[in-house]
Amino acid sequence: MAEFLLEILAEEIPAGVLPQAREELLKRVGEAFEEARIGGTLSVHSTSRRLILVGHDIAERQPDLEAESVGPSVAAAYGEDGAPTKAAEGFARGQGVAVTDLYVVTLPKGAYVAAKRTIPGRPAPEVIAELLPPIVTKMTFPRMMRWGDGKPLWVRPVHSVLALFDGMVVPFALFGVETGRTTFGHRTLSPGRIIVVGANDYFTKLRAANVEPDWSQRRWTLAEGAVRLAQEVGGEPTKDDALLDTLAHLVEAPGMVRGSFDEGYLELPEEILVTSMREHQKVLPVRRNGKLAPFFLAVADQIGDPRGLIVRGNEWVLNARFADARFFWDEDGKLRLEDRLSRLGSLGFQERLGDYLRKTGRIQELSERLAARLGRADLGPSVVKAARLLKTDLVTDMVREFADLQGVVGGLYARREGEPEEVWQALYDQYKPASADDTSPRGDVGAVVALADRLDTLTGLFGLGLVPTGSKDPYALRRAALGVVRIVLDRKWHMDVPVACSDALLLHGPLPRSRDEVVPELTAFLLERLRFVLSQRGFPQDTIQSVLTTDCHDFADAADRVEAVDAVRKKEDFVPIAIAFKRVANILSQAEETTAEPDPALMAEDAEQALAGDFLQAKGMLDELILGRNYVDALAIMASLGPSLDRFFTEVMVLTEDPAVRANRVALLKAMRDQFYRVARFSEIQG
Amino acid sequence: MDLQTLILKLSEFWASKGCLLEQPYDIEMGAGTMHPATFLRVLGPEPWACAYVQPSRRPADGRYGANPFRLGKYFQYQVVVKPSPDNIQDVFVESLTAIGIDPKEHDLRFEEDNWESPTLGAWGVGWQVLLDGMEITQFTYFQQAGGIDLAPVTAEITYGLERLAMFLANEKSVFDITWAPGVTYGEARHQDEVEASTYHFQTADASLHQLLFERFEAEAARCLAAGLVLPAFDFTLKCSHAFNVLDARGAISATDRVGVIKRVRELACRCAEAYVASREALGYPLLPKGTEAGPEAEAPHG
Repeated sequence: MAEFLLEILAEEIPAGVLPQAREELLKRVGEAFEEARIGGTLSVHSTSRRLILVGHDIAERQPDLEAESVGPSVAAAYGEDGAPTKAAEGFARGQGVAVTDLYVVTLPKGAYVAAKRTIPGRPAPEVIAELLPPIVTKMTFPRMMRWGDGKPLWVRPVHSVLALFDGMVVPFALFGVETGRTTFGHRTLSPGRIIVVGANDYFTKLRAANVEPDWSQRRWTLAEGAVRLAQEVGGEPTKDDALLDTLAHLVEAPGMVRGSFDEGYLELPEEILVTSMREHQKVLPVRRNGKLAPFFLAVADQIGDPRGLIVRGNEWVLNARFADARFFWDEDGKLRLEDRLSRLGSLGFQERLGDYLRKTGRIQELSERLAARLGRADLGPSVVKAARLLKTDLVTDMVREFADLQGVVGGLYARREGEPEEVWQALYDQYKPASADDTSPRGDVGAVVALADRLDTLTGLFGLGLVPTGSKDPYALRRAALGVVRIVLDRKWHMDVPVACSDALLLHGPLPRSRDEVVPELTAFLLERLRFVLSQRGFPQDTIQSVLTTDCHDFADAADRVEAVDAVRKKEDFVPIAIAFKRVANILSQAEETTAEPDPALMAEDAEQALAGDFLQAKGMLDELILGRNYVDALAIMASLGPSLDRFFTEVMVLTEDPAVRANRVALLKAMRDQFYRVARFSEIQG
Repeated sequence: MDLQTLILKLSEFWASKGCLLEQPYDIEMGAGTMHPATFLRVLGPEPWACAYVQPSRRPADGRYGANPFRLGKYFQYQVVVKPSPDNIQDVFVESLTAIGIDPKEHDLRFEEDNWESPTLGAWGVGWQVLLDGMEITQFTYFQQAGGIDLAPVTAEITYGLERLAMFLANEKSVFDITWAPGVTYGEARHQDEVEASTYHFQTADASLHQLLFERFEAEAARCLAAGLVLPAFDFTLKCSHAFNVLDARGAISATDRVGVIKRVRELACRCAEAYVASREALGYPLLPKGTEAGPEAEAPHG
């Protein structure tokens, strides 16, 4: 059993692609080694400049392979005298065996001669040298590049390839770079050439050359350094796993330094300071008792900073950024948001849907209408104010510089201008929820305008036929739809979603597609997001399906029903009713439709009368419970009908000869089904 | 180190590495990339290595000289080498040593930053080079220019001179850096920033620049029709600057922007195609004697 070591040393590989590149390399080499019968246990590592693959327990050579080839039919292979024909001799020669070694195999199509030969296994290094170049050169990256003469194509230029099989160089080339037994240390700290004899030797020598090849080790060192440096000033680093992940990919020598900034900047809103630090400068803010302290922690591809140069540089940059932010904060303050409204007229939203001024007008009208439909006309004045100011931060210098703070900046400015809380928070929260774990807008006013904004975007683009397909969603309509669903569910707002869509669509004026096309398609699109949100909340697919196959114009109500079905389906009296209900659905699917009410006069059998009686009694209670959205109790009542339904099926023949009796029995079952469908289609529930 | 010493050291360094010392182009432009010594020279098979300072005008970035970090005009130090040599990153690091930065004492990082210019139909892949957290250079492997895929590939290194000078001198305002002994950047350029900002934001006659845009565009097309590639490119640059002035003046709506950028891009693409054809017709004068198109050219330095 042998060891294999591969290192591809390239110019700095983007941090964002490293995790996937490692996975792809591991998977494809692993599969290739398995298929080539050399196996082995593989692992991958990476730094900002290296992809490393280590294999242990690899076979030194492929095991021999016995291969059987089928030749001509027996009739063609042997003459009447039993002597081999020319065909048999030719086949044997081709297979490299004596004609006497041929034997007969019986296949479905008849008897044939066959030959067995041994394909000798080849030495593993020879196999590896053939396997690796196509795997590495065909790796895919979101953005590829060419270099030099323009022929090579990969993520970044490759400088050296180290490939050792038990200490011996495996000879091949990647992008014209021949493999060898050498690599290089850290770019600035130990740039010299390193000669390597094996995997252990490689890791030891790299570490001595200021390169930590293990990403999780680098991440640990950075995290530990951050805590220690923050503690020295009585604080703690802001928890930020995603940033630490990235930082660990950006370096070979994981170093952390602590810098400080002018305390005066703490007057600026925390959101702006944090975005500046985190997004623009990739440094961790330090907090004391949860509040920002005038310190930050910066990564450095370095082992130390004895002269404080790295700290000084980072401080210089961060102070410059904060000075810029303060400049924008002060400058933007000279023009009120209200006075920026007209500028939205020259900011395009979408070519055929007009500019942001027109969008603002539509959002304002739709917000008022939605508030009225929700029976919250009281929100009117605040909703109008929030809608008018909603997009004005798009024409501020701050948002031009801090694009990812759009909305937040508007909220901060509105607060500074003295707008009431519900208004400035509406601006601040307008893009919430930004992701699945984000919360939706805090207040009712914020929720209404955020809903209106998204419905306006969705109906406009659906109206133009710009519907997302596959992975293409340039207007982020899935996220917008998810926002609609989340807001409605989080606030338990009972509104008719297709009607709201229709309201929004009409405000666009004439669009290429009609309301009859757009509203059903958009409703279905929103229902898919509802399904996604419900399954994320842990409800089983069949429970969700049982509700979403009924009338679901009111999403919050649908969610209530899913929750109720989920709560009762585990109870033991629910199982029989679900099974019985499947029979109801089956029988009704075989019977002709009827609109008649069940007539007690036509009920001859006891079991039939009993079921009708129980159902009549239940129906009154069900109507009341369903109206009050008390679905758990409604489902309990439905379940209580189980025994009489069972008895009915045991004793009564539904599809009987007498057409009047049959129609009456169908009518009874249909009345029950329709009543039950107001909550869920139990027939969708599995076992 | 003052600004002019910085420029001298960079020039000396890159000249020693085989770069031709080009000079700033005499037409207003937004970036050193638009200099014909970059935009046109990156096209085709001929090897090319040069370095130059390019004053870069970005009217919309002007701040009346009131912001310590922002300028409507600043200086880029541009280096282009084609084909990109294997050791170009190492040579770049060496250039830092030449301007007094010992990389061993600093944090030097190459973070992904791809470059794209919709006006030039050009894009490239590369990094922003961070020194102690500050972006000092943009490092790009040109992939496409004027809509044409590039092979061989050019490595482009763009140093932001003011930022580098501020950083080296630890100055808090760009106007405080020393340009030459006894003269600060502010003394030399502040008036220019104030007046240019006032002009671009308040005074510029939008209808004049609109007209200029149209006439320059037509003239570029006329030059192309007459087979005059370099004059056509000059007028394309003038179009681009007229657009920048109109943009700063707030005379171009967001919706129009895309259309206007597309018009400049179309000119740039036509210039690029015409330039490639013209070099071929001239027999690629810069190809080493006895080589065919697409040479495995030696790096011109190192």
